[in-house]
Amino acid sequence: MKLSLNWVKEFTDVNVPVDELVQKIGAQLGEVESVTDLGEKYKGIVIAKVVECVKHANADKLHVCMIDDGGITKHVKRDSKGLVQVVCGAPNVREGLLVAWLPPGTTVPSTVEKDPFVLESREIRGEVSNGMLASASELGLSDDHSGILEITTDNKPGESFAAAVGLDDHIIDIENKMFTHRPDLFGELGLAREVAGILHKPFESPAWYRKKPATPTPMGKRLPLKVKNELPKLVPRFMAVVLEDVVVQPSPAWLQSYLMRVGVRPINNVVDITNYMMMLTAQPLHAYDYDKVRAQDGSSSTATLVARHPQKGEQIKLLSGKTVLPRPDAIMIATADKLVGIGGVMGGADTEVDEQTENIILECATFDMYSIRRTSMEHGLFSDAVTRFNKGQSPLQNDVVIAKAAEMIVDTCGPSVEFASGYTDLSSYKETAINNKGISISADFINERLGTSLTLKEIANFLQNVEFKILSVPADKKRLHVQAPFWRTDIEIPEDIVEEVGRLYGYDHLPLVLPERTIQPVERNDLLDFQNKLRDILSDAGANEVLGYTFVHGNLFDKVGQDPKNAYQLSNALSPDLQYYRQSLVPSLLERVHPNLKSDRVRGEDNEFALFEINPVHGKDLTDEHGLPIEDKRLGFVFAADDKTSSRKYMGGAYFMARLYAEQLFEEIGITPIFHSAKDHNPKQPISKAAIAPFDKERSAIIKTVDGTFLGEIGEYTAQVRRNLKLPQFTAGFELDVDALYRSAARTSLYTPIPRFPKVVQDVTLRINTETPYGELKQLLDAKLLELQSSQAFIMLGMPRIYQPEDDVHHKHITLRLWVSDYDKTLKAEAVNALLDSLAESAADSFGAERV
Amino acid sequence: MSYQNKKIADTAEVLKARLAKLDDKASILRSTELRALYAEIPSLPADERGAFGKEINALKAELEKLVLADQDEQTKLPAIDVTAPVDVNVSADKQPRLLASSEGSVHPLMREIETISDIFYRMGFRVEASRQIDDEYHMFDTLNFPKDHPARDDYDTFVTTEGFIAPAHTSTMQNRMLKKYKANLDSGQPIAVLVPDRVFRNEDLDARHEHTFYQYEGIYVGKQIHAGHLLATLKTFLSEYYQQELDVKTQPFYFPFTEPSFEFAMSCPFCQKKGCGVCSYSGWIELLGCGMIHPNVLKMAGIDPAIYTGFAWGGGIDRLVMMKYNIEDVRHFESGKLEFLRQFK
Repeated sequence: MKLSLNWVKEFTDVNVPVDELVQKIGAQLGEVESVTDLGEKYKGIVIAKVVECVKHANADKLHVCMIDDGGITKHVKRDSKGLVQVVCGAPNVREGLLVAWLPPGTTVPSTVEKDPFVLESREIRGEVSNGMLASASELGLSDDHSGILEITTDNKPGESFAAAVGLDDHIIDIENKMFTHRPDLFGELGLAREVAGILHKPFESPAWYRKKPATPTPMGKRLPLKVKNELPKLVPRFMAVVLEDVVVQPSPAWLQSYLMRVGVRPINNVVDITNYMMMLTAQPLHAYDYDKVRAQDGSSSTATLVARHPQKGEQIKLLSGKTVLPRPDAIMIATADKLVGIGGVMGGADTEVDEQTENIILECATFDMYSIRRTSMEHGLFSDAVTRFNKGQSPLQNDVVIAKAAEMIVDTCGPSVEFASGYTDLSSYKETAINNKGISISADFINERLGTSLTLKEIANFLQNVEFKILSVPADKKRLHVQAPFWRTDIEIPEDIVEEVGRLYGYDHLPLVLPERTIQPVERNDLLDFQNKLRDILSDAGANEVLGYTFVHGNLFDKVGQDPKNAYQLSNALSPDLQYYRQSLVPSLLERVHPNLKSDRVRGEDNEFALFEINPVHGKDLTDEHGLPIEDKRLGFVFAADDKTSSRKYMGGAYFMARLYAEQLFEEIGITPIFHSAKDHNPKQPISKAAIAPFDKERSAIIKTVDGTFLGEIGEYTAQVRRNLKLPQFTAGFELDVDALYRSAARTSLYTPIPRFPKVVQDVTLRINTETPYGELKQLLDAKLLELQSSQAFIMLGMPRIYQPEDDVHHKHITLRLWVSDYDKTLKAEAVNALLDSLAESAADSFGAERV
Repeated sequence: MSYQNKKIADTAEVLKARLAKLDDKASILRSTELRALYAEIPSLPADERGAFGKEINALKAELEKLVLADQDEQTKLPAIDVTAPVDVNVSADKQPRLLASSEGSVHPLMREIETISDIFYRMGFRVEASRQIDDEYHMFDTLNFPKDHPARDDYDTFVTTEGFIAPAHTSTMQNRMLKKYKANLDSGQPIAVLVPDRVFRNEDLDARHEHTFYQYEGIYVGKQIHAGHLLATLKTFLSEYYQQELDVKTQPFYFPFTEPSFEFAMSCPFCQKKGCGVCSYSGWIELLGCGMIHPNVLKMAGIDPAIYTGFAWGGGIDRLVMMKYNIEDVRHFESGKLEFLRQFK
């Protein structure tokens, strides 16, 4: 919202420098986006009178004028009478006219922002022109460049043009967001009141705004108007009046100046007056061409305006040129037969006021803010009226606003404008809804919430300055009964008064003290701490944490074989790239593999990395007892090495790399994982299906705890996934359930006493059937060792080596290394051998293993 | 797949039979038969061209699929024993090894959340997580946003087809937190919670705008808590975070869920108000929105606003991190680029 300082000064004294005012507005009203010194733009431009005007000898359309600037412009050539010669091409230039003269050295205002054009004295077809006479367009007032601007006010040659039309102004642009709840601040009058308030000065609205207007006596032909309101709830007040014999033409300079300063484009005098009143009071108005309205209904002798919903299939062409099929609940303005506007949003093109218009209907109504907002959003229609109506304008100002607007039209739009009707006023609003009962509030209530120690008197002053009424002060002198003025539809509860007082007083007065607290320790959030621990473990193991978007492209699901049906889909996605909630994390990590392998800016000799992410995933099949989607927190991990790196550094599948990372993680958090082949893992639940989808089941495992709690999937990816995401062969990863990890993790480390006697290291190699999973053998040996451990021995099993002879594909050789020591004595070789024998024996019994 | 056009159906059969025997499967896509079909299109009557063309394309797509399926079959790797920790026949020097610790990194945003949480723990706050999908009730209704109120426009939210919302602020947790810790009030303790987590705004990406970012929400409710407490709490946090005494100031603002509401700024910690690039030479940095919790919000959580008052704030974490490290583009955070990630330890 643009605050025009000159306009505001018409209503209140502002006796502080602009800088200070801007600072105060920022601290007590809202963020100032910019401050513009308009006067700078019009520096040097003066009002001049055309004294002589003769046709240019060498050009048909040009005139050579001698102008009087009161002799104030320096460094310009004058004739003996002190007049200055200017060549002018405008058709309306004539003797006696008051004009805006741009002397040499000034800049054409309309060019200031883009490509400043500085005037000089130069010859035009043999005649010297000292600067130029300017059109409204060149002055940056409006788009009108049909002729030079005619100044009709009572000004003298030599006066500053800017000062004469109020352009010696400062425009303070304040962020609109600040005023979401302040309908009154979308008008200069409201801004002026607020400026007075923050300067701690009493404000009084002008008389015409405070007093009920007189009923006009229609003097003219009496043009009949019928108004009907079929939507009393959505249109709490609808006022209209008919004016006749208006002359529609460009507005006088002073009026254009007002609009231009606050960012509204002048159109014609009638429309400009409605906009002027809107910019002043925040109450939008609309003007219709009376005869066009009447003509909508054929030969009817009466013009009719009805507020109603649209009928099925009814369309309307709007002033903006757009044709819309309004939503069924929209508030429409219609004649007896046809739609002529969307109430409070935008008028229709068919009844527009233009240069031919003679009679007008002026409408001043109040529309339901929620309905206006819905219509505006649904049809993408945004207008100054919408901005104001959707903040909740009070219906109590319609009468004064329409009266003032009508008065201005009578004064400005032609010599014989008359009222052709009285005011129609259809009111259905309830007085009680407009908060007239007042709010009772104590100084304590306010001081407790602000930390201040204001007296009741100070509080009353702040409020009265902005026209709140003190209805009564109860005898104990501790409370006030205050009534907000009608335009403050936002004041509903005592806390609103607290805000008002705090803001008007100035928040820089608030005492900065910390709340008091006890020494009670704060409980930490163990789950969040646990996630931080996971981060540290993996980053310590050289992995890089990634944060991926919560939303993915539908084709990522296709690429990894996930079904999009179970994924939440956004109905207003920014792009197809961000359309679905993720069903698992691994696909997003896999998407990052190829670009990172390609990027050569970080890597050294090895092109390999490990990525991980901790974030929730979502599936439609996972909802809580309130029907809300469950946030299924996951840890995703992917390791990848390009072919060159993996063939140089590693043998075997990438699975074992992912597994190394998983085991490192499990070790650190105290979980003993069991890796089961994923071959027979066929989950029914869609979210679990999605998790396993990218994995190659022949090269993947399901991880569970010893007691069977499901922890996640680990493995390599299918050939299709590798192809679709351009993954190197050496790619593997895992996806773990963070909550399950958290619940299963050991809270403390387990300690085993340290043996005092030396360890014996022994290898044993078993030859077993290729098909026998290592895991089963291991489980057997672990159980056996546990048995033996009880006999006072300390046994550690090292990493196995597995050998598959080329000439015997049916068998593999598993070599295990054991560290054995005894708590009581130094072990003898025979004892260790006996141990190995017993292990081999049980392996032979269970799996037919042979000791090699 | 069956084809209506006899000629196409026949060609399909021939080509599929040949494909089975071909070594270079992809060459089927360049076969003369397929090309001949395409060449035929211009000679057909205009009204048949569309259907014919569609079927050829379908055939081509079918063949492409078969070629890819075969390619996948060729590149499929043999089964492994996933119950073993190592692969077969791997020499000791070619076993997988963890990458060097120095390569590893924690995401800077997560690291910062830890730092911020740590300060608030010390100040007596609990720390809780937010959600990435929520309902209108928590995102708006419990926060005193009337239905269809224009204030909802300021939050460009992502909405699912079911009407769930990707929260546009961490305040979506406010009602839950107030309810969860309400019992504190009965025992004379305040409610003090910090919620640092991910939020979403439906806005286009550029170097300064992300649709996905992180906020830290603070909630404090107790007896006789006033706006001065709010400002002092934030000032204390920021002075601790930046390890220097900072000045703070406010501008009035409007949020439906606080009254009064403020926009909060701190003196620039990078130039001590002298003016620098970070603060656009103003000496001040606008940091967050805050205010006294609206009585309706307290009521919605079953807390009596006549007895208890409180404050809340919500600030951006991405911006703190960007200012801290001089990060030029907010999009780096979710880019997954190693050259970005590895710079943070």
